[in-house]
Parts: sequence; structure tokens; C-alpha cells
Amino acid sequence: MKKVLTRLFTTVSLLAFPAAAVAETTVDSTTVFRLFQDSRAGYDTKEFAPALQFLGLDVNGLHGGDLSLHFYGWGRVDLAEKSYNNQQADGNLTYGYAQYRFKAANAQARAGRFFVHEGIVNEQVDGVSARTDLPYGFGLSTFGGATVHTTDIPGESTDGKGDAVFGGRVNYRYGGLLELGLAGVYETKAPTLTSTAYAGRFGDHRLVGGDIWLSPHRMVQLMGRTSYNTETSGIAEQSYLLQLTPLKDLVVTGEFNDYHDRDLFYSSAFFAGLLNGNNLNQDSRSYGGTATYTVNSQVEVGGDFKHYTRDIGKADRFGGEVRYANAKNAVRAGAGYHYLRTSPDFAIIPSSDASGSFHEVRGYAMRDTKSYFTALDLIGYFFKKDVKGRDAAWEATGSVGYHFTPALAISGDVSYGSNPQYTDEFKGLLRLTYTMKTAAKGDTK
Amino acid sequence: MRRSQTVTALLLAGLVFALAACAQLKALPNLPASHPEELATGPVSCTECHEDQQKGTMKPFSAFNHSRAFIANHRFYASSGNDVLCASCHKVSFCADCHTNQTELKPSLKNAFRPDRMMPHRGDYLTIHKIEGKVDPASCFRCHGRANNERCVTCHR
Repeated sequence: MKKVLTRLFTTVSLLAFPAAAVAETTVDSTTVFRLFQDSRAGYDTKEFAPALQFLGLDVNGLHGGDLSLHFYGWGRVDLAEKSYNNQQADGNLTYGYAQYRFKAANAQARAGRFFVHEGIVNEQVDGVSARTDLPYGFGLSTFGGATVHTTDIPGESTDGKGDAVFGGRVNYRYGGLLELGLAGVYETKAPTLTSTAYAGRFGDHRLVGGDIWLSPHRMVQLMGRTSYNTETSGIAEQSYLLQLTPLKDLVVTGEFNDYHDRDLFYSSAFFAGLLNGNNLNQDSRSYGGTATYTVNSQVEVGGDFKHYTRDIGKADRFGGEVRYANAKNAVRAGAGYHYLRTSPDFAIIPSSDASGSFHEVRGYAMRDTKSYFTALDLIGYFFKKDVKGRDAAWEATGSVGYHFTPALAISGDVSYGSNPQYTDEFKGLLRLTYTMKTAAKGDTK
Repeated sequence: MRRSQTVTALLLAGLVFALAACAQLKALPNLPASHPEELATGPVSCTECHEDQQKGTMKPFSAFNHSRAFIANHRFYASSGNDVLCASCHKVSFCADCHTNQTELKPSLKNAFRPDRMMPHRGDYLTIHKIEGKVDPASCFRCHGRANNERCVTCHR
């Protein structure tokens, strides 16, 4: 499969540039060379030099403007030691599909590999999908095809997914006040896992659920979703957000989330395996709020608070940040502070005197001109109790680049830090970006 | 016999309803495929240019102002039938900067020259995830749940 993807990636890469001549085309290409050394005590020192190519291609305006092609993927070749998964080369097609837009009702159809985000449904599919608005405020979307398989679970010969998946969403909108959605996903039978540890905690991927958006007043928005696992007969997720805009420049939010771990993780072999012991009925609940105030066109300040409750303990996170951008967005900067306060059970190695609490401090600044661009990013985590004998994990990253043309730029990053894994961590990266579009209007991103 | 007649009548009524609905589809307008004007760099406020009044069943433009709260909670908008509106300004590759099923570089590493963008797992997240994963595992599941990312299963076995 990887050989096929690699060939497909190469073919589409070669087709990208001629395609630019025949339609409204956008090419996003990023070539990255990295160089790093692993010299951990007790291991052989290794040099790594992976070369990476990310390529996105959008060809619009085909067939009288209704047909478009969309592609994104990446490939890697190791020029020195195998950098990651014991393969000298690797690649992945993130998406690649043809899309046809009909003349009315925002109707469109897609065929190929694509992501589906419809209400409670989040899937990656090799297949077809279609959506349309319907009269009287109704709407309909549907999809079906083959599941996109990923890495096998260790000790198993499968990733735990069925081979086919389909689903969809129907929705109803009333003016600009209300939207209600009902969505579902049905995946064919999940493979049987050999490990008995999954018994009772892993099975078929089948969910139904609803979502809501309600705005009874222009200052108020309520949105959220509830999903129900038909295999475990339990509610998997409830997430709701209330957003208030009492002033033009002030946005206040309040949120509530409730997750039932077994029902939520049931179709993920990876997460089902993480459920602790025989307690399959753990709940995770959180609530919190944020406030963001735009002081003027250049400065924004915000604060946030969130409380987490799990069967194993409780935690609070609070903090604030300030952001600046000058009139032309050429200079941007920001700073923030957050504190996560946890009970001992959330520590990396729980014990009566352990703590998972830490301070997070971050500051950044960047400048972007027609000719050059620079950025500096500093982030530090300061632990209340040492982790592996270290009281902090911090990293400083500097980036500098030059625009050869508006479309072509070269840039390099250097980062230095220290953390519980590495006494010193020094990394370098060289990046070539090419962002070309032939369409005269609209944003490239 | 009566039952089959009822089913047939219901199917015919459904067919008539479907045909009537299809006939009305042509009267439902399309959103533009791309935004007709070049947009400024940085987060936009739709209401800077658009009057805050919805047409038909469209949501108000003010709902899509790219405030910090909107960016942090964009999942609620992107998954509720607004993808056509999102696509008028954003290429799908913009979403793929973070949302992929398998990726080779952390988004914040690939885009280190854009520290102003909200991106996950900055800094030494290898250490931090051991705490965050216990505090809020559902937030990990949202992206990594069924992706079985190689980097996750390398250690979590």
C-alpha cells in the first residue's frame, strides 16, 4: 500500500505544475531538511538527516467551474540513519479527491479520499460523499466507502477498524436562530483482537447523536453535541459551549463537557487498551470559561479557567495571555501564563507526595516583511515536583527566512532546550516553501 | 393486499415529495466557491464588511467572526454544515496543517515561523502529555483516537 501511495504521491507531484496552466490552481509545497543527533546515554550515537516533502494541490474551475481536484500528502526519505519507523522512506496521502459543485442548494459530491466532519461524525474515508441544502431549512449529507486503515496495534495484525464505513447527517435550520442536526456512523464489524485484555472494552464503531446551534439573540450562541454508542448503549460524549458577546469587543464563553470513557473509547483499540484495570465506567467531566477583550485594533487580552473531574482525581487550569499585532500585521507578538494544578494521581508516577502541577510560560514575537521574516518562540514548563530529577522543560526556537519571490521562500529554524528526556536538545531545520496560486481572488489559505 | 397498497401509496407519496423537493432545489442559492475579495492577513471579522443580517437559513455573519473563542472552538462550526462557507476562504490544506491522520512533523515544528497560530503540542510535549493525557484523555482521543498514530503505539503497547 505504501508503494502505491509513494507512486501516487510522485505522479501527482509531477502533474501539479502542468495542471497550474490549465485551471485556477493553488500549490502549497514545503520541503524540509532536518539534521539531528541522538546521543542518549546507554544508546549508540546516531545521526539523522530526513528529507521531507509536503505537497498540497487544489485545481479549481474545471468543467465550466464546477469540478475541482484536491490533494495533500507527504513523503520522507532518510539520507542517513532510519529516522523513525525502521523504513528508509515513508509517505502518506492525507486526502485526494475530486469535487463537483452543483449549480444550486450548495450541493456537492466528492469521490476519493477525504475527511468527514458532520455533527458527531469524524472519519477519513476512501469513497464518495454528497451534501445538499433542502427546501424549508432542511439539509442532508451522506458518505460511504472503505475505511482508511492505519498502524497495527502492537501484538495484533490489525488497527482495529472494520473495512467499510458509511453515515450521514440531516439538519434543520430555522432562520438564523436555530440549527438541529442528527448524525450517525456505521462501520462494518471490527476485527477480533487476540489479546484478552480488550474483552468488554473494544468493539464495533457505531455512533448516533445530535448537535445544536441556537442564537436567540445576536449576543448569545449556544452550541454543542451529544453522541450515543449503540454498541455499549451509553452516552459517549456531551460537549456544550455558551458564547456571549455583551460588548462588540468582549467575548465570554462557558463550556461543559462530559465523557464516559468506555463508550467514547470503545471503537479505538489504542484507547480501549488504556482503560485502567476493570473499571470501565470512568467518567471525565470538565467545565470552565474564557473571556477575551479586544483593547484596540492591535491588542487583545484574555483569561481562562477550566476545572477537570475524573474518577482518579481533580485538576484546575487557569491563566491569561496578551497578543499584539501592528496595523499591517507585519509585527505580531504574544505572551501567556497558565498554571495546571492537579491532584497526585495525575502525576507522571503517582504517589502520595507526587504532583502533576506545572506552570506554563510562553512568549513569542515575529516580523514578516516583503523580503524577510523572523520569529522567536520561547516556552517553558516549570514543574511543582521534579520530573526525572528536572524541575523544568523549556525550549527556545528562532526562525529566519527570506522571500525570493512572493511565492517562494527559504527559511531555517534553530531550537535549543532542556527537558527530562534530554539534558540538552539542539535541533536544526531548513525549509523551502512554495505557495503559488493562479486564481485572482480569494484567500490562499 | 391492503398492506401492499398502503406501502405503494406511501412510496408514491415519497417519490412525489422527493421530486417536488428536487424541483425546489434550483431556487436555493449557492454560496460563492471562493471569497470575491482578497482578505487581509490574520484573523478576520466577517462583520467588518458584511452587514450582520442572515439571508434565508444562513447563520448571522457575526457568528463567524474569527475571535479567539471562535478559533478555539471552531470544531462546532466546521462540523455543522458550514464547510461550504469555510471553503470559500480556506483551502482544505489549511485544515490539514493540523488535522491529519498520520503526519511526520508536529504542526508547530513544520510552521515554526508562525508562532502566532494556535497549534497543539508546542515545546516538550513528550513530557507534558503524560500529565495532560490523564487530566483530559478525551481531548487526546478527539485527534488520536482512531488514528493509531505510530508515535503513540510505539510506547503505548
